[in-house]
Amino acid sequence: MNRRISGPPPIIVRGLRKVFRQATTGQPVVAIDRLDLIIAPKEVVAIVGQTGCGKSTFFDLMIGLDAPSEGSIHIGDRSPHADFDYFRGRIATVFQQDRLLPWRSALDNAKLPLELIGLSEDEQRERALTWLNRLGLGQFTNAYPHELSGGMRQRVAIARAFSVQPDILLADEAFGHLDEVTAAELRETFLALARECGSTAILITHQLEEAISVGDRIIVFGKSAKLLADIHVAHWPKKKYALLREAIQSTLQTNRPDPRLGHASSKTRSSPRKRGPRKNTQAQP
Amino acid sequence: MRHEEISGSVPSLIFPRQTLVSLLVFAVCWEALSHLAPLLGIPPFAIPSLLRIAKSIATITPVDIAVTLARVIGALIASFVLGLALAMAMYRSERLEKYLHPMIRILMAVPVVSWILFAVLWFPGVEFRIGFVLVVVCGPVFLVDTLDAMRSVPRELRHMMRSFRPTTWQYFFKLMLPAIVPTVFTSWKVNISLAIRVVTIAELVGAVTGIGHQLSVAQELFSVADVFAWTLVLVALLFLLEAMVSRVEARVLRWRA
Repeated sequence: MNRRISGPPPIIVRGLRKVFRQATTGQPVVAIDRLDLIIAPKEVVAIVGQTGCGKSTFFDLMIGLDAPSEGSIHIGDRSPHADFDYFRGRIATVFQQDRLLPWRSALDNAKLPLELIGLSEDEQRERALTWLNRLGLGQFTNAYPHELSGGMRQRVAIARAFSVQPDILLADEAFGHLDEVTAAELRETFLALARECGSTAILITHQLEEAISVGDRIIVFGKSAKLLADIHVAHWPKKKYALLREAIQSTLQTNRPDPRLGHASSKTRSSPRKRGPRKNTQAQP
Repeated sequence: MRHEEISGSVPSLIFPRQTLVSLLVFAVCWEALSHLAPLLGIPPFAIPSLLRIAKSIATITPVDIAVTLARVIGALIASFVLGLALAMAMYRSERLEKYLHPMIRILMAVPVVSWILFAVLWFPGVEFRIGFVLVVVCGPVFLVDTLDAMRSVPRELRHMMRSFRPTTWQYFFKLMLPAIVPTVFTSWKVNISLAIRVVTIAELVGAVTGIGHQLSVAQELFSVADVFAWTLVLVALLFLLEAMVSRVEARVLRWRA
């Protein structure tokens, strides 16, 4: 079942603010301070930032588990928080840890979101098996999470997210805890599947390498999710990736946009990168 | 895939050697004491021989065992359903929890004997009295255990589940209930032991059937052998029920490493 007819809607973030109160002192803490952002349909966006910059708060707001203190997030013309149930099966998440239910087999874990949207048992099974097979877990469908390696568990979590063929895929440091080889392999798989499904994907990461290798865009958050840079990776030739990495690193360290990021930092809208290998024909920074 | 063998904790019915030795030593000491009792100034009926106890065991009426067992199982099921339903409601509503929590604490602090006296004074029917006492003693234990287990479900799993936008029922049936199953089994084992002890006391008062009633009769007849025999039955019953729960537990929780 694919409810999507005309592709995923754009994500529009306007004046987003999130303030928490400290449990002990009652002092307000601004996690996100007036963030404006537009993410085009089918775009793959990597959000980078230092620990505590508001990435995970943004993630929760995107999922709709939290309400903004001010401003709004709209996916199409609906809010993921106010229209919470509408997005059942339309937003899927992959977390840092696999977060599989330990009492369910790999197959049953992959079926979970399909059960929630009320598909028939046969369709649940067929779809979950298809995704597990695609992720190379065809032999382990009956294995329990404790019987699988970390990489395999994360594959099940990815299969679980893709099984509903969501409009929006959110990944919160989904590959950060894996060894580099497994992480690179899973990143590739994730990206290929996201493009194939035509989903908009937002990956939150603290690894610049991951952001550069995966994202059409890299959004750099400073303190309180201040938008420091909005980089269109396609504008950077592959041979200048080292420079890009340095510039982002410098931006993160100084909490100020690095001049080397140039005009790309000022953009807030873009079109998704075309499928296939990146072409280095865009304007150079 | 990690090639670990799933080591289920299926309880073995074969006694380890040490258990057999200690039971044997106890039996020998008891038998010796029963023969030495007159020399020690203890009345012979106070420490009956093993043969006398065996004769008492042979006269045990299965109907009394069945009645007690039915009371225990019935009351445990009722307590569990009630405890679980209230725990779910209290988990959902913080306000309800604030109102009910003090009451639960008070219920748990009341001695069993007081409940039995209340039951005798309030209710005319014997079965209802026994059921009431068992439910009022075991129900709060189930409630507290399941509520604690619900609160202990890892935040990460709750967060993951909510991110997929389940309905309230889906959230409970697909996350909370499976997550609390290990605690529920532990709670059942604790409550079986509790219920066996409580039902015996409850049956002492007013019941005309059941193991408690037979113990009362044995006490009136000064028959220590009968008391010993019925006590052995109670212990065996407890072990049997625990073993059954452990078997089910091992099967249901086979997903555990």
